Amino acid sequence: MAQAILAGTRADPIPGGDDRAEVRVTQPVAMALVDVGARIRLTATANLEALTLADGELTPGAWGEGFVDRRHPHTVVHELTLGVRDLLGSRDGAIEVGVVAGKGFVPFGTDDPMVRPFLRYPVNHHLAQLLERAVVLGQLQVGMATLEGALFNGDEPERPGQWPLLRRADGAWRFGDSRAARLTMRPMATLELQGSLAAVKSPEHRQGAGGTARKESLSARWAEEQPTRARYALVEWAHTSELDGAFVFRSFLAEVAVRERRVAVGYRFERTTRPEEERLDDPFRSKRPHLENSILGTTRWTLHTAQLRFGPIGRGRVDALPFIEATVGRISRGGPGIFDIETLYGTDRVRTISVGVVVNAGMRGHRMGRYGVLGAAHHHP
Amino acid sequence: MPASFRRRLTAIGSLLLVISCGGDSPSDGGTTPPPPSEQLRIITGNSQVGPAGTALPVPLLVQALSADGTTPLVGRNVTWTVVTGGGTLAEVRTQTDGAGAASARWTLGAAVGAQTIRVTIQGIATPVTFTATAQNANQTQPVLVATVPVPATYGHHDTFVRDGLAFVCAWNAGVLIYDVGNGMRGGSPANPVLVSSLVTNANGVPGGAQVHNAWWFHNPVTGEKRYLFIGQEGPATVGASSSGDLHVVDVSNLADPREVATLRIGGAGIHNFWMDEQRQVLYAAYYNGGVLALDVSGTLQGDLQGRILARRTPGGEGNTYVWGVMLAGNTLYASDMLSGFWALDPVTLATKGGGGNVADRYTSDLWIRDGWGYTGTWGNRGGRRGTVIKVWQLAGTGVPTLIDSVNVGNITTVSDVAVTPDGKALVATAEGGTGPGLYIYDRVDPRRPQLKGSVTVSQGLHTGEVAVINGRTYVFAAQNPGLPALRIYDITGVVP
Repeated sequence: MAQAILAGTRADPIPGGDDRAEVRVTQPVAMALVDVGARIRLTATANLEALTLADGELTPGAWGEGFVDRRHPHTVVHELTLGVRDLLGSRDGAIEVGVVAGKGFVPFGTDDPMVRPFLRYPVNHHLAQLLERAVVLGQLQVGMATLEGALFNGDEPERPGQWPLLRRADGAWRFGDSRAARLTMRPMATLELQGSLAAVKSPEHRQGAGGTARKESLSARWAEEQPTRARYALVEWAHTSELDGAFVFRSFLAEVAVRERRVAVGYRFERTTRPEEERLDDPFRSKRPHLENSILGTTRWTLHTAQLRFGPIGRGRVDALPFIEATVGRISRGGPGIFDIETLYGTDRVRTISVGVVVNAGMRGHRMGRYGVLGAAHHHP
Repeated sequence: MPASFRRRLTAIGSLLLVISCGGDSPSDGGTTPPPPSEQLRIITGNSQVGPAGTALPVPLLVQALSADGTTPLVGRNVTWTVVTGGGTLAEVRTQTDGAGAASARWTLGAAVGAQTIRVTIQGIATPVTFTATAQNANQTQPVLVATVPVPATYGHHDTFVRDGLAFVCAWNAGVLIYDVGNGMRGGSPANPVLVSSLVTNANGVPGGAQVHNAWWFHNPVTGEKRYLFIGQEGPATVGASSSGDLHVVDVSNLADPREVATLRIGGAGIHNFWMDEQRQVLYAAYYNGGVLALDVSGTLQGDLQGRILARRTPGGEGNTYVWGVMLAGNTLYASDMLSGFWALDPVTLATKGGGGNVADRYTSDLWIRDGWGYTGTWGNRGGRRGTVIKVWQLAGTGVPTLIDSVNVGNITTVSDVAVTPDGKALVATAEGGTGPGLYIYDRVDPRRPQLKGSVTVSQGLHTGEVAVINGRTYVFAAQNPGLPALRIYDITGVVP
């Protein structure tokens, strides 16, 4: 399975007040799912954004891993996990137990934006998902409920070639310093409810100097797919409190997509707060590693995104979906501090438009980060 | 050898040997064939840096011990050999004394670069080698003489140097006390030796100990050198909120520092200090909490709330975020990131003048000398970066008048400023841009400092503490993460 998106994007404003247009190949991934018998699955995903997006993807509002207003590239080894489902076989009756270990998604929050209908990553990516960690997770599925618990390393990647840190320089374990739990309910085949908690130790400082980020996520997801029509909706709330509430970031996001035959339309609303940090000479980058626990303020991003997509075009193993996607919105102060929106951007209005094509070979509908007992694919349009 | 020097050497040697040997008595050594594994080791004097052709400040001292390391080898013949550099030795002891020690003084040769001395002792096959670095005697650039890595817990923020001891404020690794010329551990600026460390209590402040800055209080009234004041820099939103406490550490026993008192100001966090030691008053910048004066006389213990003498927010609520304070004459100066440079009454903290005078940039650190003030600038305010040092003329009343600005270069923040004790040089550290590092200016005309030397440090330097040790002037600089370290520069020759 593989996917890549060729997209031209124009964003107004960028830091400094100008606008910018650029063409990039984004989200180039290749994935393999290797099943050994009925219970064991190896999941491997390579992400080549290090080659195509080394300086990030133009995305006003995006932040994380030292990038601001450009979405950071992901690590080359995006997933590499070994999962076992129904570990106890018939001995536990209708209960299904799973165990997963490797590098990949932590059971927290919602699906990665890469496997959702829109091109543009939402502002809340670092509030609503945890990925690219060394993780060990256990799962218990009873009827419609699945409970997952995980231990992992708190540090997020600093660059695409980097592996999760297992031990710090002082010898203390980095792996296992963070934990997460997620309860997923599927009362209907098309409806999924999710609630999750995580405590992530020093995500932005690899050696562990930062505080703990306490994260919460609630979501409801609707997805049904038929050959001639599809429906998809997601509503999510995410909350992150850092340093015992010294900094709090919130997000509300709702997105919907409808496909009739070969035409799909989608809309996303997002309101998310993000930290504002001192920027480097490159205004799309912030200082890493940090020197102290201070920020310049917070901003609130209220964004409306609409997408029109066609296709798939092509009948073989590879197909294409041309699309056009536009975002408009507003930046406002999320709290006190010296960060000044007008100074950096020259305006508080955001406009972004992208035109492109998704090239897909068997990946459409796959949900990354669903391991073990959740390994069966659940589709979106 | 002059008697005074001999006595000093003997004292140093004896002290070190007592520490290292635990007071074991010497043997009668030298008359029987030694066992093969007898030891020869360097006690002091290695890794020094100095101008070519000059005497190094720290004597070379070696010690010979028995195989088990407990018994000094007395009366052994010692051979000192200049291997490279062409230097000379003086005041040479050619036989080990009662502590197994022998010493010499080293005058570097004319060659710039590494120079070496080899020492061999009768009966010990393996010699030891002293290395020193000779600088150009007409050195005009800062010379890095030591780099001491600091644990990567956000790293190193500030240093306080006094009596040859460096108090390295290393965030969640605590305060690290180094001998850099005190003599208690044989350290020097080129060879800092750790004396002790202490991680102060987090006091419930999110983020941990976050040791940011320090001041070792030498109380002229009592003669005590008992208290070390430590600032804890907790989470903050710049310009609006801050957190972090004052911690008081009893360093009566420098090898075993103990925290004894704290002070919390609700809704505000502490930053830099200054002291009126004669009046036993500590002044602290408290960011949005303004400026605070604290009575630190007598015994300090527990909560110090009852000792607050005064507190003011010079720029007013919502327009105050004080970075630093400094007392000069009868005026307490404060640098406020938001509202500029202030002159305050040191007793009441009432405004004497200044303020509202740096609207174009955020203000950072400050230094006052001989009627002149220097303030740094920080970050990005309205598109203008912290690239300059503001120069102020101070009236007899203390009121500042802006005279000029020194453009440091392609940086984003002047993170620290200081004037050397002789008043000749203005020292600044810088972060961000393409030119972060250390900048040295002369003060021939104090209103227009001229750049005389600089060093670029890619990570940037967060602070630079100036100290004179053994007649040479050093900057103890805090190198930022990702490679946090104490970097010690000899700047003696930059502004002669």
